[in-house]
Parts: sequence; structure tokens; C-alpha cells
Amino acid sequence: MVPWLVGIVPFGLVIGLSAAQADIPTLAGWLTGPLIYAGSSQVATISMLDAGAAPVVIVVAALVINIRLILYSANMARHWRGTSLRWRFLAAYLLVDPSFAVGLDGYGRRIDRRRAHARYLGGAVLLWASWLAAIGIGATVGAGLPTWLHLEFVIPLYLVGETVPKLADPVRRRTIFAAAAVAVLALSAPLHLGLALAIAAGITAGLLVQPVDRVEPTQPIRPTAEVPR
Amino acid sequence: MSAWIVILAVGLGSYLFRLSMILLIDRITMPSWLDRASGLVAPAAFAALAAGGVATACTSVGASQAAAPLAAVAVAVIAVLRTGSSYAAILVGMPTLWIMTSLLSG
Repeated sequence: MVPWLVGIVPFGLVIGLSAAQADIPTLAGWLTGPLIYAGSSQVATISMLDAGAAPVVIVVAALVINIRLILYSANMARHWRGTSLRWRFLAAYLLVDPSFAVGLDGYGRRIDRRRAHARYLGGAVLLWASWLAAIGIGATVGAGLPTWLHLEFVIPLYLVGETVPKLADPVRRRTIFAAAAVAVLALSAPLHLGLALAIAAGITAGLLVQPVDRVEPTQPIRPTAEVPR
Repeated sequence: MSAWIVILAVGLGSYLFRLSMILLIDRITMPSWLDRASGLVAPAAFAALAAGGVATACTSVGASQAAAPLAAVAVAVIAVLRTGSSYAAILVGMPTLWIMTSLLSG
């Protein structure tokens, strides 16, 4: 939770700063926070609006970046099955990379479901408030943080820490290496498509592993994985 | 004027993405491949974001100092393997980054 907060605040400041400098109303730039609420998509939207790209191109590009949200949604749906509609509308609104990670962590601990829900909501609201505050400060105050701290590097390091233990599983190992390789290769891909491409490549690489490969003596065999279509 | 509409459209689309599978899960049974795929989203996304972040850090500081973020990641990987904690990556990686950056620029 704390690393995500430390990591998103400089990112939010940068987005606020770019919104203030872009050729759009500053309020519109800040509104990308509560309306879009996904950093890389907000950056793409603001920078393309500033560059004067065609509205349709901007919308399509920004939404392609956010396609991963459908997959996050599919993942969280398993944990939110049977919850009230109101909860789902709220929880879905707050769903984004850091809250997804915080939520997965809670649901993965096999603690009481209600406590895991509270943990997700509490973390997600805190991230949301910090995100909007950071963008607001960035838009009004501007750059003030000492750059030598390189706080933007906290998130990549945290993700490295989250990823390394998962390398032990052969399926995830393929997923991780494929996603990382494509992410680096597609770093300068047009329209910020690199992230979506890398995630797709990683999932594909993982799915190509035959399910039988992952059957280990200590793990129960999942029957659904063996049934032919 | 159109800036507001663009931001609103992206926001609405993103919200529908977030909501889509959460609302549909009670009506449709997910095919098993999609179920497997959704379990791989987090490792794929995290690896992609990490690799992209490290690569961006390397390119933004220039060739002469690119070794600093790479060294920080290498030390972080070792620390995580030793301790099993993902927080160790930050606690060891950030000081490594600061030290290496100051050494390389000095």
C-alpha cells in the first residue's frame, strides 16, 4: 500500500503539471483524474489533446490503453461474485492498477471475505484521494520535489519485488519474461500501445503452455483445465 | 469544447471496461481459457510496467548513467530472492540508485 502511495504521488504531480501546461482548460486536465482515473491513459489523453489530435483518435487510443481494465474486472469479478450492485458500481469505479494490486493481495491472503472487501475499499479510496490531490497540487503549485530522489523509480522497483517471487512457477515465468521483453521492445510504440501489447504477449505466452505442464504433485489437478472443448 | 467531450468519452468507456466483467459474471460462465488468462493478467501487467519503468529510467538519464537504474534493479532482485519480501526491493534499490547516480555523475 505505502509503496503505491509513494509512487503515484509524483506521477500525479507530473500529470497535474502537464495538464497546467497543455493547451486545454486546467480544470479539464484535472478532471481526467476523477473521470478517467488511470495514469497512462490520462497522460495520453492530455498530451494528444495538447497536440491537437483528432478527438476520435484520442478516444480510441486512450481506451486501448485501458483494455487491461477489462481483464482486471474479470479477475476481481471472481471475488465480488454475489455482492450488492451498489458495491460493484463503486468498487468498479475505483479499480485501477494499484487498487487491483492491493485488492489481489487482500483476497489472496485467504482472510475473511468481508475484511478483504473492506481492505480493498479502504486502500482504493485512499489511493483515489491521494491521486486527485497530487494532480491538483501538480496543476497549481508545479514542480517542487527534489528530482534527485527519483521517486518515480519506487513503483518499478516495487513491481520487480512483486514479480521476482512469481518466477518460480513455469507458466508465470513465461508470462513475465514475454511481457517484460515486449514492454522494452515496444517502449516507443505509437499511441502508447506498448503496455497493452506487452500484457497481451505475456498472457498469450502463458496460455500457450499446456495445462498438463503445470500439474505438480503438491497441487490438486483442476478438472476444468483438462476437459477438451 | 471538444476537450471536455473527449475526456468524458474516455472516462465513460474506461468505467464500462471496469464494470464489464464484474456485472457479467453472474450471467455468463467464463470459458476456462479466459479464467486462466485472467490469472495471468497481474504477472503480465506488473512485469510490463516494471520493465517499461526501468527502461524509461535508463533512457531518460542517458547512456552514461543508465547503469544506475540497472544496478538498482539487480540489487533489488537479489534482495527479494534473499528475503522473500517485495519491500526489500525498494529499501535496497532506492539507496543503490542514489549512490550509483552520484558516483556516475561525479
